Amino acid sequence: MKPISLSFALLLAALVSTAPAQIADKVVREKIAGIDLIAYKTDVQDVVTFRGSLPAGDSFAPKENLAVPTLVGEMLDQGTTKQDKFAIAQKLDDIGASISFAVSGVMLEFRGKCLRKDLPVVISLLAEQLRTPSFPESEFAKLKKQLIGDLQRALESTDFRASQAFAETVFPIGHPNYSPPTKAFVAAIEAAKLADVKAFHAAYYGPAQATLVVVGDVEIDALKTDLAKAFDGWTGGKAVTDFPKAAPAEKLREQTIAMADKPNVTYILGQASGLRYKDDDSLALRVGTAVLGTGFTGRLMANVRDKEGLTYGIGAGLSNDSFNDGAWQINANFAPNLLDKGMESTQRQLDLWYKEGVTAAELERMKSNLIGTFKVGLATTDGLASALLSAVQRGYDVTWLDEYPKKVEALSLEAVNGAIKKHLQLEKMTVIKAGSVPPPTSRN
Amino acid sequence: MKYRLLPFAALALAFSPILHAAPAEVAGFTFVKTVGPISEYRLESNGLQVLLLPEHASPTLTFMVTYRVGSRNEVTGTTGATHLLEHLMFKGTPEFNREKGTSVDQLLERVGGIYNATTWLDRTNYYANVASENLDKYMAIEADRMRNLWLREEDRKPEMTVVRNEFEIGENEPTQALEKELYATAYMAHPYHHSTIGWRSDIEKVSIEKLREFYDTFYWPDNATASVIGDFEPAQALELIKKHYGAITKAPKPIPIVYTEEPEQTGPRRVAVKRAGELGVVAIAHKVPAALHEDQAALRVLNVILTVGKNSRGYRSLTDKNLTTSVDGDVGFFHDPSLYILYASLAPGSTHEQVEKIVLDELERVKKEGVTEGEVSAAVARMLAASSYARDGSFKIASKLNEFIAAGDWTLYVNGDDALKNVTPAAVKRVANTYLLEDKRTTGWFIPNVAGETADAKKTAAPAPKKKS
Repeated sequence: MKPISLSFALLLAALVSTAPAQIADKVVREKIAGIDLIAYKTDVQDVVTFRGSLPAGDSFAPKENLAVPTLVGEMLDQGTTKQDKFAIAQKLDDIGASISFAVSGVMLEFRGKCLRKDLPVVISLLAEQLRTPSFPESEFAKLKKQLIGDLQRALESTDFRASQAFAETVFPIGHPNYSPPTKAFVAAIEAAKLADVKAFHAAYYGPAQATLVVVGDVEIDALKTDLAKAFDGWTGGKAVTDFPKAAPAEKLREQTIAMADKPNVTYILGQASGLRYKDDDSLALRVGTAVLGTGFTGRLMANVRDKEGLTYGIGAGLSNDSFNDGAWQINANFAPNLLDKGMESTQRQLDLWYKEGVTAAELERMKSNLIGTFKVGLATTDGLASALLSAVQRGYDVTWLDEYPKKVEALSLEAVNGAIKKHLQLEKMTVIKAGSVPPPTSRN
Repeated sequence: MKYRLLPFAALALAFSPILHAAPAEVAGFTFVKTVGPISEYRLESNGLQVLLLPEHASPTLTFMVTYRVGSRNEVTGTTGATHLLEHLMFKGTPEFNREKGTSVDQLLERVGGIYNATTWLDRTNYYANVASENLDKYMAIEADRMRNLWLREEDRKPEMTVVRNEFEIGENEPTQALEKELYATAYMAHPYHHSTIGWRSDIEKVSIEKLREFYDTFYWPDNATASVIGDFEPAQALELIKKHYGAITKAPKPIPIVYTEEPEQTGPRRVAVKRAGELGVVAIAHKVPAALHEDQAALRVLNVILTVGKNSRGYRSLTDKNLTTSVDGDVGFFHDPSLYILYASLAPGSTHEQVEKIVLDELERVKKEGVTEGEVSAAVARMLAASSYARDGSFKIASKLNEFIAAGDWTLYVNGDDALKNVTPAAVKRVANTYLLEDKRTTGWFIPNVAGETADAKKTAAPAPKKKS
């Protein structure tokens, strides 16, 4: 059993965080064996957290098979040339450490945790898994079945179905934020050849644009030595390329995914933002959107949930824009019989926000919120490691963590409201509903 | 063995700088005890339990109030009331409310706090993770709403539909629906029979008067624990607690105890949930003792051996053979005896019968052959490391401490790992033979009704959408 909570809106709030003053002064950043190492020692005792990435995500998939990057990432913990997957798992189990891999639109991302004394072992295993996966045929066959099973189960989720449909509709094939139809992805997994997986690994895995962030109770000099040894002689890798932006929608698009026995409907309303995180206007639009859809005092939660009681959770935000133009979207949950009222109320708040903009008082409160969240968000090794990796992925130096509060503080009301008007087109948004959506005539 | 010893030493180091900190002396408080880094005090005027854990890694802290009331305190007609009341606790008091711009969410979002409230079987908690200078302001609101909540019908109505939507979100998930029915089948008399969210009709119909009765019964300082964790000075924190909580009186009547005990289960039970879906789930539950029972540690080690990681028996016998997509386990850690549930999520092509038989065969193998020293050692190392990770920040510490408070002994937060260190293969085999009994078993199947899937995608606007999966 899981405890139930009010966490939906707070999770959205947590996505928007800033950084403390003088973070950069404590960061050690150095190229080690070609890898961009970013290390930060904190006062936490014994815990070390790491995050890293290199460009080997789905958008680099060969035209013949879009599942290849995912399969490569998933094969990393299926055995190396030195040992099988069970031996690797045993070594990690014995010290209570973890290493995991995930493939996103642009990056192969890796993360893990260990105790201070075990960092050399973990760095060695990480290097082994990244550099010398053995790609055993038997494990490849098992993995394909496991992934297909996971995808089939995901089809039961209204959130998964709605998010996939939104990403497929808003972004073109080849864009990092595009999500293929699940059946097409399953077919690609089934058709994938091990030779293609090996070839992709050879072509894309290397230190060229690899980043490793290590935060916590870490002896940085020793880490540098361990890293140099573990990754000595590693070469190759690719640079992140520029991706063409998604074309603006020409008209309103609406899609309903009818699913039986789903008493909650997942609702998404949004568009391609047209902005990378680092672009001009991006921060202004982010802060303006936070006034609409972050926290319990955001306009959506305060009205659609708190006053009208139409949803458990609703929020708005920008996402997936580190390397390319991202998404601007509202996400909400509605009971089928309250769906129409919920959508109407949401649209009312959106129209008002767009037409009249945010107020000076709202902007000042949100600035205070974002800057205050900084202290709290970076108080754990997870929070700090994620923020450092995000900064460099977005194209900033680590000094961005110190600059962020000032950038937020400097935003003017005109800049925020101007960005809303300039980048959003309410009449051309994409609407997705997934769940037991009743026919329009039977709703009350 | 060598790997097993090292984490223990590391944990001792983690606590060592504050093991011998002298208790703060503040008039109006009785010092109770110090265990590890945590000191317990009692506010003399009303019996409020106070736990202080100073930890100065960052200039933030978490303040949390845990009420010893959860869904185990509910009966038919009021199921879900604890949780609905938790939601209404955000609707304001005459002093702190949205109209004045002084509500808890307005304060905490203005200062960039991360805050929440959660309800579970045995407890309800309210907390905020904030910069240390905001403790006074937040505590003022938290203390005020302990006894001065508005609790208005005009607030209940819209909040009821909010909570009902939360219920509906849970009903979307087949595994959650199955878990509710497992507990409802395994428990006939004890209130763990119903889930914390409650039954839909009770959520919709419980009156504001009943909620007021609930509030007036359980929301008192002598039924609560206030915890401060993070960057603060103990004496100053106690002064603040006295300032904000000192004038609140004790409960006028004794807090009611739950005296219903679950009758002994004398035969296996089964339940099935059939809904639209893609893949089945087999869940096998056995009754296990309460959180404070000495067998809990061995049961938790057994669960890791069975379900966690690629070397677990469940992974090797099922997932690695493409019979399941995952095998998970959950040992209930509650005030009263609860369930140890094993979940096996079926892979395409496998059957419930096939997977259930393999799970049961694995349980029988543990009962007959036991587990190895290496399995126990690795499981314990993993769990002890997880304990260290759970001390990474005041918010994580609070989350874990909260469950020990609810279970009835907060000192297990510090000493609980000692029990893990003493778990042996023989102990694991013994608890398997004690608790994994057929007559104490409740088995649940989620059976997907694939034919229930309706139209693939309906298009309502141009351009013609692509066919969806």
